[in-house]
Amino acid sequence: MLPLIGFWGLGLDMAGIGFEIRKILERDSYWSVIRAYGYAGMVSGGPWVLSILSIMMIGVLDVTLGVEQREVNAFQICVTYLMAASLIWTGGAQLMFTRFVADRTYADDKAEVLPNLFGVLIVVMGGGFAWAAPFIFWFFEGPFVQQLLLLCNFVVLSGMWIGLIFLSGMKAYRRIVWTLAKGYLLGIGVGLAAAEWKLNGLLLGVLTGHSYLLFSFLHHIVREYPGSALLKFDFLDRNRSFYSLFLVGTLYYLAVWVDKLIFWFIPYTSEAVIGPLRASIIYDLPIFLAYLFILPGMAVFLVTMEADFAEQHERFYRAVREGDTLMHIEHRRDRMVYAARQGIYEIFKVQGLTVVLCLLWGRDLLHAVGISPLYIHLFYIDVVAVSVQVLLMAILNVLFYLDARREVLIITACFFITNLLFTFATLQLGAEAFGYGFAVSVTVSAFLGLFILSRKFNRLEYETFMLQN
Amino acid sequence: MKTVSETAAGARVAGPGAGFDAGPVIEPVQESVADIALLLEGTYPYVRGGVSSWVHQIITALPEIRFAVVFIGSEPSMYGPAQYQFPGNVTHVETHYLLRQDRHIKPHARKGNRRAFAQMDSLHTHLREGGEIPSNEMMDAFTRLGSPDGITQEDFLYSKASWEYITQQYRQRCTEPSFVDYFWAVRAMHAPLFVLANIAAGLPPVRAVHAISTGYAGLLGAMIRLRRAIPFVLTEHGIYTKERKIDLAQATWLHDHNDDVCNTLHDEMGYIRGLWIRFYEQIGRMAYGQASPIVSLYEGNRQRQIADGAAAERTRVITNGINLERYRTALERRPETVPPILGLVGRVVPIKDIKTFIRALRILVNRRPDIQGWIVGPEDEDPLYVTECKELATSLGLNENVKFLGFQNVLDILPQLGLMVLTSISEALPLVVLEAFASGLPCLATDVGSCRELIEGRGGEDSALGSAGSVVSIADPEVTAEAALALLNDATRWHDAQRAGLARVARYYDDKLMFSSYRSLYMEALGSGSSGPSGSSGSSEFPRSPGSSSRGCDAAAHRVLGAGA
Repeated sequence: MLPLIGFWGLGLDMAGIGFEIRKILERDSYWSVIRAYGYAGMVSGGPWVLSILSIMMIGVLDVTLGVEQREVNAFQICVTYLMAASLIWTGGAQLMFTRFVADRTYADDKAEVLPNLFGVLIVVMGGGFAWAAPFIFWFFEGPFVQQLLLLCNFVVLSGMWIGLIFLSGMKAYRRIVWTLAKGYLLGIGVGLAAAEWKLNGLLLGVLTGHSYLLFSFLHHIVREYPGSALLKFDFLDRNRSFYSLFLVGTLYYLAVWVDKLIFWFIPYTSEAVIGPLRASIIYDLPIFLAYLFILPGMAVFLVTMEADFAEQHERFYRAVREGDTLMHIEHRRDRMVYAARQGIYEIFKVQGLTVVLCLLWGRDLLHAVGISPLYIHLFYIDVVAVSVQVLLMAILNVLFYLDARREVLIITACFFITNLLFTFATLQLGAEAFGYGFAVSVTVSAFLGLFILSRKFNRLEYETFMLQN
Repeated sequence: MKTVSETAAGARVAGPGAGFDAGPVIEPVQESVADIALLLEGTYPYVRGGVSSWVHQIITALPEIRFAVVFIGSEPSMYGPAQYQFPGNVTHVETHYLLRQDRHIKPHARKGNRRAFAQMDSLHTHLREGGEIPSNEMMDAFTRLGSPDGITQEDFLYSKASWEYITQQYRQRCTEPSFVDYFWAVRAMHAPLFVLANIAAGLPPVRAVHAISTGYAGLLGAMIRLRRAIPFVLTEHGIYTKERKIDLAQATWLHDHNDDVCNTLHDEMGYIRGLWIRFYEQIGRMAYGQASPIVSLYEGNRQRQIADGAAAERTRVITNGINLERYRTALERRPETVPPILGLVGRVVPIKDIKTFIRALRILVNRRPDIQGWIVGPEDEDPLYVTECKELATSLGLNENVKFLGFQNVLDILPQLGLMVLTSISEALPLVVLEAFASGLPCLATDVGSCRELIEGRGGEDSALGSAGSVVSIADPEVTAEAALALLNDATRWHDAQRAGLARVARYYDDKLMFSSYRSLYMEALGSGSSGPSGSSGSSEFPRSPGSSSRGCDAAAHRVLGAGA
């Protein structure tokens, strides 16, 4: 089960969560610092931790209810693939649409947002249906109901990601976490109740949970946003949307999943589980566990980026617009660079500490969860890799603030290509090298990101004043 | 009169001051599209007004000369369709807009040419010091403008070298806090220069250029003269630099950051306002430096040109004129008695100071209740001001005596008036004064522009003709009212003024005189044109000293002005 980090952070940018965090930090006590980080952790980590935990819960509870482990495994693999497919399918639309909404809000055009949201949902869900249906019906040999459940899950999930990212932009994060909790509880409940239908029951549970989430999100959105029309497709207009962002979103999710996909479909490292879906026992478990440990880094990322950097960024652009002296503008730019640098250092430190702790207690942890200690090396390298991924996300986040779309595209493309190439390379090099493909690729991309970011900062005033349209 | 082009090639150039008849025939050097290219900034043919009408009259009255019309405007949206129909001798028309980017260039980072910017620095230093700029330096600068190994427009707008130059200048010189204001002022100032360089490069071959103002038109003329070594004539109606200074003084988009904490005795003008003023002064100087002759409408303006940097020996005065025949009917329809009606013929805008006129009328009506004041002119330019004037008239209880007539045919109005009044705070050579004189109407005007010269004469024989009315100070309703009463109540004085006006306008301000002055001016310019070895455009030959041929012309001009004595 793999987490859904991605543009959740970007949605939060829009939301002004930094403002809330800053308010907490203003009280300037240790308790307020803890509260701030806890809040950030909950908001940044909440959604995907909840989803992972609930999937696990279903599995555990069902086994205790007597469902075969094999069925539960098949279920977990299905959900993983559903998540991966829906994320890759909607990643581009998520990013592009988020930017579209931000532009409309800035231009005071809020009435345009809701009809376009429905347009996006139709495109994403309808389009998803269009290609997933033939694929599922062709490749899955199971009963029709099962195929149908898979298809519905995929379509609903695709819609739900859009709703989730949109809602995050509405500053409704507490509501999101609360709704997610309710939704997953519902899913668990239904899954348990339908346990006798085995895999189909579990799938039905997830479908119910995610459907509840989708409609609950939409309910809240429609209530909050005035709309002039029902359906609009303005977001497809080249003049109003940035297709480069679509590419970035898709490439990013592809990059994150491609090494897993490779391991799943190389016969040597994987096995068939259900239908065409395969899993890689040696690869999946360690990385699943490793992803749980990015929570500290994510919390720090949110606090430093959204609270500090965002504020300095805002001050810089205000200085430019409102007629400050050049010297003062440069001073503000330096403060912004400092905030970015500090943020990256903080993440580095916190994740570094986390890595150290994992190294220290890794064996005990694996033992407690019941995973063979043979996985320990893969687990170590995976923890390092995901920690660097948090750094990469932070760098991309800063670049998004600076609206450096071309630069972000270069970095995500690099991430995707290197992950692809290096993972294949590790397969040639043997089991000792497994996991290093992903780790090296994310590190290379992070370094590239740092280099590009540094260059961008150096030229910032020049680009801000001279190179505008 | 034979046209220039008809007369056989090979005839020699006649001497300067050849007189009114067609004499000098000039051997065309190249396939020129027109003889004179008129460089017009914001006037003919898209904007109706005094200058545009003047240009139209000149073109119409000199059919033997082929004209090219080069219009320079700010943005296309500011202008409607052409307001004048071109006469047959307009052989080429171009329209350009300084603020519009012709190609939509996407900003791309580029390095730019550092050396070119360093050279630009020395030119800027010269400009700052305000002295005479050597022609070769200017020529180098203009050659660099727009050329690939100099500074292209993209370089200026988007290159790193440009950014570094601008920030360096800001750090060294700008006392104004706002960088973004400085940055955009620099852009706004220089971007049109690239457009001008393109125009100068793309203009088809002509034999001479004639700019009708300094400013960007004058600068364009200077650029063309430097590139092609053809004659460059400059005529100024108003003084462009002065008008821009007034505009800038009233501009609300310029912030003067006056420090409230440290009190200085004088008002510190904002740095950016100063930049703009210096900019206009300098491009004016560039035009004066390259133009010959430099024509103004009256002596006061000529002195101002000299003060602004024009070489005195190249300046001359050619006054405007009117078609006397047209106003004869108005003269004939004049009643026996003097109507107690004061007329102000002009646009209802603040520069005409209608409010002083209305206040003066209040004083007049107190003394003579039969007096009326008519305000005759279009009211669409400044509706707010129009409302203010009408409210002022009402509040002073003048609804019976003051009438706003809007735009009228001046020939109908003139016979009904008893006195033509001008209360403007700024004028050049107001045609309404001449029209009033030609229709037998004395004039009361403020002492602005050439009004004193028109009413009291320019000295010598001119002043001996007598006073055609009265001259008062601006914005003084009491004095204005007194002067008006003095004329309306004294029939002898009124008739003397009428006689003086008629005589003056007939002797000095007949438009036939103006047309012949310009005819001979053009002939002279075309005659002294580049018949040198490298007559091709774009040559970097030094311009020939223009001083010699103008002296003879001055004599001719004086003869024109003194004709009929």
